[in-house]
Amino acid sequence: MHTEQLIDMLARDAGPAPRAVVARRLLPVMLMGVLCSVVLALWLIGPLPAESFQTPAPWVKLAYAAALAVGAGLLTSRLARPVAELFTPRLLVGLAVGAMALIGAATLFLTPAQERVDAVFGQTWLTCPWTLLGFSLPALAGILWAMRGLAPTRPRQAGWAGGLLAGALGAMGYALSCPESSPTFVAIWHTAGMAMTAYIGRLLGPIVLRW
Amino acid sequence: MNEEHASSDVENRLRPLWMAAQSGDERAYRQTLALMATRLRSFFRRRMPTLLDDVEDLVQETLLAVHLQRGTYDPAFPVSAWLTAIARHKLVDLFRRRDRKEGLHDEYDDVDEAELAGEPAEPHARRDLAVLLRALPETQRRAIELTKLEGLSVAEAAARTGASVASIKVLVHRGLKRLVEQVKKAPPETLAPLASPPRGPRNARGGPSCFL
Repeated sequence: MHTEQLIDMLARDAGPAPRAVVARRLLPVMLMGVLCSVVLALWLIGPLPAESFQTPAPWVKLAYAAALAVGAGLLTSRLARPVAELFTPRLLVGLAVGAMALIGAATLFLTPAQERVDAVFGQTWLTCPWTLLGFSLPALAGILWAMRGLAPTRPRQAGWAGGLLAGALGAMGYALSCPESSPTFVAIWHTAGMAMTAYIGRLLGPIVLRW
Repeated sequence: MNEEHASSDVENRLRPLWMAAQSGDERAYRQTLALMATRLRSFFRRRMPTLLDDVEDLVQETLLAVHLQRGTYDPAFPVSAWLTAIARHKLVDLFRRRDRKEGLHDEYDDVDEAELAGEPAEPHARRDLAVLLRALPETQRRAIELTKLEGLSVAEAAARTGASVASIKVLVHRGLKRLVEQVKKAPPETLAPLASPPRGPRNARGGPSCFL
């Protein structure tokens, strides 16, 4: 086919460009990702007892995951376009992680010395990152699928951002079941779980994000 | 394309047309795509001087991507930067694919002239086209039959098949590309008439696509 014919075919009755394509593709899979992680958490582990929700612990986890989801979500949506400004979303991601690290360090500092090991490792440090990773996989699959239909030109970075977003969404569900109460634990092990998910996204990016 | 020839004048020509096209002006869209095709052609020629045969394919591949992804354009950035990013992505993708497939097929120029059959006769061509079409996925075959053999417009073909106009466009493009690839791959004994290269001056757009 000649290029002129292709141009003619593409332009004929093309109509206006679709609007908000990135949001329309990304938001539904993000919602699906949160729902999956909530269902997995409630089904496999079960919810925390109701009185836990009167303590700050689950809310700290939820707030951390939500803040990261905002930053990583913005970053992902920017990286789904061929050209975009990346400074603001990267700053948001950095601020969320930095703030949580500060809170974690401060609490550790205020914890009596003999309880510090417990604050860092809790009861579940061995399983926590892996469980969080597992709960994030549906979100990761959905986000990568959504990005594949968009136009990421930096597949490694885009995969990383999508993975981080998936991790943050998975952490929201996990916050309903995670029994640990120390912010130090959250700052270390929840971050580790999300970083692992981001790393998987980074590995998959160049393979999956082809268009 | 915007780096060396810091093409602010290209951007100045492109942007108003593109913005009109984005809001649904079909004539402006046509002009934008033609202008982009010209820019893309020189962009790719400069970057793949050893693969000039693939330039036009890549131009078309990129135009198709531009069309499918026009919703991802953010007016805060120059159109030429957006186009360049897509073009670069397509170029990298081509190099990666070629790395993997290199050596699997001969260039036309390397084929021994003596092994080539003569001019294609009409009946053969038609029979072989049918053979080739049968090998396509059903949806691509149908889209090509309707738009290229029966002469329907894309909109009519869409109405006939129930697929969207956009997806008919994609199916036709992918299908034709696949046909060309099959012609290139097919051993001479099964497809002798079609596999002979065009005589005389080579089509500027490269090899066998002039059959389609």
